[in-house]
Amino acid sequence: MHPHRASLSLTRTVAGVATALVASSTLVACGGSGSADASKTFTIAMIAKSSTNPVFLSGRQGAEAAAAELTKETGVTVRIDWLTPPNEDGAVQAQRIAEAANSGANAILLSSSDASKVRGAVDEAVARGVPVMTFDSDVPDSKRFSFYGGDDVKMGNQVMDELATQMGGRGRVAILAGNQNALNLQARVRGVREAAAKYPGITIVDAFYHAETPQDAAAEVLRIKNAYPDLQGFAMIGGWALFTRTLLTDLDPKKIKIVSVDALPAELPYVESGLAPVLFAQPTYNWGYVSVKTIFDHVYRKQEVPAHVQMDLVRVSKDNLGEWARQLQAWGFTDVDPKYLALPK
Amino acid sequence: MRSPQFGLIVVLLVLMTALTLAAGSHVDPQTGATVNNFLNRYTLIQMATDASAFAIMGVGATLVIIAGGIDLSVGAIYALAGVAMAMVLRALGPMDPVVTVFVGLGVCVAVSLLCGLANGLMVIGLGVHPFIITLGTMWILRGVAFVVSRAESILVPTALTAVAKAPLGLGAALYPVPLLSMLAVTAAGGIYLSRTVAGRHIFAVGGNPEASRFSGLSVPRITLGVFVLSGLAAGAAAFLGAAFYGSATSSDANGYELYVVASAVVGGASLKGGKGSALSAMLGAVLIVTMRQAIRTLHLDQNYEWIIIGTAMIIAVVLDQRGTKLLAGRFARTG
Repeated sequence: MHPHRASLSLTRTVAGVATALVASSTLVACGGSGSADASKTFTIAMIAKSSTNPVFLSGRQGAEAAAAELTKETGVTVRIDWLTPPNEDGAVQAQRIAEAANSGANAILLSSSDASKVRGAVDEAVARGVPVMTFDSDVPDSKRFSFYGGDDVKMGNQVMDELATQMGGRGRVAILAGNQNALNLQARVRGVREAAAKYPGITIVDAFYHAETPQDAAAEVLRIKNAYPDLQGFAMIGGWALFTRTLLTDLDPKKIKIVSVDALPAELPYVESGLAPVLFAQPTYNWGYVSVKTIFDHVYRKQEVPAHVQMDLVRVSKDNLGEWARQLQAWGFTDVDPKYLALPK
Repeated sequence: MRSPQFGLIVVLLVLMTALTLAAGSHVDPQTGATVNNFLNRYTLIQMATDASAFAIMGVGATLVIIAGGIDLSVGAIYALAGVAMAMVLRALGPMDPVVTVFVGLGVCVAVSLLCGLANGLMVIGLGVHPFIITLGTMWILRGVAFVVSRAESILVPTALTAVAKAPLGLGAALYPVPLLSMLAVTAAGGIYLSRTVAGRHIFAVGGNPEASRFSGLSVPRITLGVFVLSGLAAGAAAFLGAAFYGSATSSDANGYELYVVASAVVGGASLKGGKGSALSAMLGAVLIVTMRQAIRTLHLDQNYEWIIIGTAMIIAVVLDQRGTKLLAGRFARTG
């Protein structure tokens, strides 16, 4: 390599990058947040598992709604700093916890992708005076002050009990299990297996893990169906696969039944078709809404809050489909099909 | 003569200055002091920690790129080495902390060396482009990690974390070991490339493999060597990462290979071979992490991260190619 060639070429390269970066940083600096008055601003860094998962986007909507309400009510500007990584990665979450503490967040709200990866970062943030609350997926044995979420084993029990009822107590069942590293999902799988043991006619073929994206989950369902043609039920401990439409045409509601956790707008056609006669909705909007209010009560108002704020599932079936659709709309979901909104009470 | 890294350093300084000015400040809850949101010791050490994995793997990957190849399997080697280390240490049970650290390091080195060796041997023996071979091993090695670990997140002994998170006198929550490791690997890579005969041979092979062969260089041996070194760098990053975060899983470093290649390319390495440096790869990694940090510090929507990094990389490569053509033209006219 000729040294002059390397030097000049690299300098040109770098000049180009510099132009782009300085231009972008100038742009963002002009519209940036600038200095915040700490006495009037309360920043909560929200770190969910994945910014491509719709359930966390609804949690973000809830968090922002709670922040707006608190701002109006108290005069303190409550701001949500969305630091959720695009893909599930415990190490990246740990980095973002540290970044939140470094940049002066007043509190951190976290749903952990991998508790063992983030535990150290949580404890360090707390030691540096930044309280941490968890939602959805807890970090047990950490110094977080509270957790908002359901009893995951019980959720698994509910899913399997309902599926057994729908299947008449007989048949082969696959568990669609999401990310194998998430403690909350592991507990739900245990709950499904535990409940299945009560039904002699029910056989669990296996629990199947996959990337928690709608397409990956739907593809996994189809692979399972092809591998086990006599399958009669899916116990889905998360609603990923039902965020797609493909299973509406690829699975026959007369031959197969699904019971799933989550009931977001995209999943409602599955209730209507009878393929998923029952969905157990996590009030995912409340992940953000309740957690932000709990954080504000504890950190700003210095109030005592419970170490576990219980979240109960909502049973969604054809009987309350309209009511649930209207609830979703009231929570800010804009993609609820009008035909469900028009259903009578 | 101006250093090849001069431009990159200027870019970093300009960007960091702009960030410092635009970042705003907050009150430290512990000390009550007003702290700049960007220019504070915690953020700078955190950025170095974030960059360390990309930079350490980037130095290894740069050797492959200089030799005219590419290694897409570094993220998978990282995952497999980390998982293997965690499983071996779990199986061995409690040991003396020093022994634990050396066994852990030994496992990472052994696994990553074998992976690098496999990559190199397949590239040489099968005569298939490294892109295809390492694309295949990327999936194979991550699959092996997934199967053997059953996708569990396996805790590593605290002795390892104590090493990776040794404060070295800097104070609580400030961990300089990843930064120092990154600098050490970069220095070693830089010395190897610029001060040893073997290093110069890598440039020769990447610049013109035919001429290298005719001049008596063993191209297969050099190719094998760069893949082994790239694997070892991934193993070192895996040891550091698993020790720092306290656990290892088969999904660790998923997608990191793209950041590693981006670090090398933004740092000036040419995918055509014959060009690149260890220091530039490290600076490329730091630049990427600084761009990511800018998005956080300025409270921009973090989904713009990929757009900004992608745009910067394309601009860098396009300008690099045009600069090279321009220079070639000048040399032709004067030569």
